[in-house]
Amino acid sequence: MFRVNSQMNEELDRAGRKILKAAVADEKETEEAAAAPFLFTRIRAAIDAERRRLEEAGSWFSLILVARRAIPAMALLAILAAVVTFWPVRFQANPAPAQSDEEVLFGPAEPGVEQTVLASKGLSRDEVFNIVVDRNYEVNAK
Amino acid sequence: MDSLTEPTDDALVSAAAAGDEGAFEQLFERHRRQVARIASRFFAQREQIEEIIQDSFTKAYFALNTYHGTHAASFKAWLAQIAVNCCYDQLRRARRRPEQGFGDIEETEAQQFAAQLRAAPKDVETELASRDLAVKLLSRLSADDRLVLTLLDVEGFSVAEIAELTNWSVSKVKVRAHRARAHLRRILQRYL
Repeated sequence: MFRVNSQMNEELDRAGRKILKAAVADEKETEEAAAAPFLFTRIRAAIDAERRRLEEAGSWFSLILVARRAIPAMALLAILAAVVTFWPVRFQANPAPAQSDEEVLFGPAEPGVEQTVLASKGLSRDEVFNIVVDRNYEVNAK
Repeated sequence: MDSLTEPTDDALVSAAAAGDEGAFEQLFERHRRQVARIASRFFAQREQIEEIIQDSFTKAYFALNTYHGTHAASFKAWLAQIAVNCCYDQLRRARRRPEQGFGDIEETEAQQFAAQLRAAPKDVETELASRDLAVKLLSRLSADDRLVLTLLDVEGFSVAEIAELTNWSVSKVKVRAHRARAHLRRILQRYL
């Protein structure tokens, strides 16, 4: 049984070697391929293309390196910005001043012309409103 | 006389590495037949052989700085290593592309081939037909199997030489060769 198997294996190996040798290109074709016209021109073109590809890859790589070096600087800037933003808030511990009735109703006083007039005459916003309406009424009546 | 006037491979490599394109062209002229011969052991078509020559010299150009020649045959051996690796890559790529695969072998084809194996081919036509069938059969082997069997049985390299060419360990080459032979036997049993 063992002998039959080994004999069969030997035969198959012999056939395998023949097949491997049969799959080889012949001398004429090999010589023609080696002497193909413009082969070196094609190689030079392939080298140029590969060089361009490497340069492009290199520029991306250098960009990544620069970006990596910039990370600590950016982090420092972010920390500084955060400190500048929160520092005054933390240390301005002054309590908010008491609000008048008007401020509660109409919001904080704005330094506009109206406010200046109101402050100088001692008039409330309602009084000013009534004066304006009456004046318009008189103008319309004329 | 020639050896006095012609620069050595090592001198040409140094010049080419320094940017002398003429030196690289001289290296190409000297060694293109050697690369073509290696490629022809794995690929039967002329276009495939040309592609291997192109790939090998392009890779060699970018690796010139890694070459440190110490004796006359060194560049030849270094280039052979690159060419074998290019063939291996090409075999692997061909296995991954289903459109490159060969169709099933018909029974009549297998019988015809079995008869051809028994008798030596008589004419070019028969030889070409048997080559196509051989390529079909071998396309069923993995790239590793094909590489190791071709280097062993066609090129006649020793296990140590294959290990050096492929950068594999000696034991890996032995195991690979054993498995490759078993695989080829299974394929042949099915078809022949």
